Amino acid sequence: MDDREHEDATLQMSHSEASTKSGTELGPNSAIGKRLKAYYDDVASEPVPDRFLSLLDALDAAERASKADRE
Amino acid sequence: MSEALEFRRELISIIPNLRAFAASLSGSFDRADDLVQETLVKAWDKQHTFQPGTNLKAWLFTILRNEFYTQMRKKGREVQDVDGIHAMQLAGHPEQHGHLDLQDFRKALDQLPDDQREALILIGASGFSYEEAAEICNCAVGTIKSRVSRARTRIADLLALEGDGEYGPDAISSQIIGVAPAA
Repeated sequence: MDDREHEDATLQMSHSEASTKSGTELGPNSAIGKRLKAYYDDVASEPVPDRFLSLLDALDAAERASKADRE
Repeated sequence: MSEALEFRRELISIIPNLRAFAASLSGSFDRADDLVQETLVKAWDKQHTFQPGTNLKAWLFTILRNEFYTQMRKKGREVQDVDGIHAMQLAGHPEQHGHLDLQDFRKALDQLPDDQREALILIGASGFSYEEAAEICNCAVGTIKSRVSRARTRIADLLALEGDGEYGPDAISSQIIGVAPAA
């Protein structure tokens, strides 16, 4: 996997060198990877909203009730 | 009983990831949370089909993704707005306060076809292996690899990341305007 990433980076660099600018340390993998994580974690770092905890409580309660009915 | 508690605990621990994935798929935080809610209800109903010890996160992502595409088919392609309504809705998210960088990235992400965007997210952000992502998307591993690779190239072009590192909003919007819709 690391090898593949290096290959990709090399390809990207030669591509960008061909189109004017040098690859620079902003290898597309790391640069994009960083932004991707920041974008994703912006949402993923938020605390779990109460609505979901209540929902799970309700599902659990419903299940228990139906089990109790059967028994 | 403790098994149910354990299931619940694990579900809760994965919710933040589900929300982030749903937001990237749907482009709207309200829709994202509706998708997560549907996913939790479905997961709860089907929990007996889940094999303990296997990957619960991948299982939940699969449910969420199927739910998303089912809803899309029902509602038509309203979500696929090439005009950036997608991005505008997200830009209005209070948590995304003035993160110009994130908004620009979001806009670039919006330029990707759905299949490339989801592959990029699953691999680059959600932390799945290519094999897991292939299972979630119900396609071949090679397909995921090529989607990720095309997505990376496209994002790099849009954000001019191979350039000298300067990518102000003007540079980006002119790029986006200059690019004909791919699909």
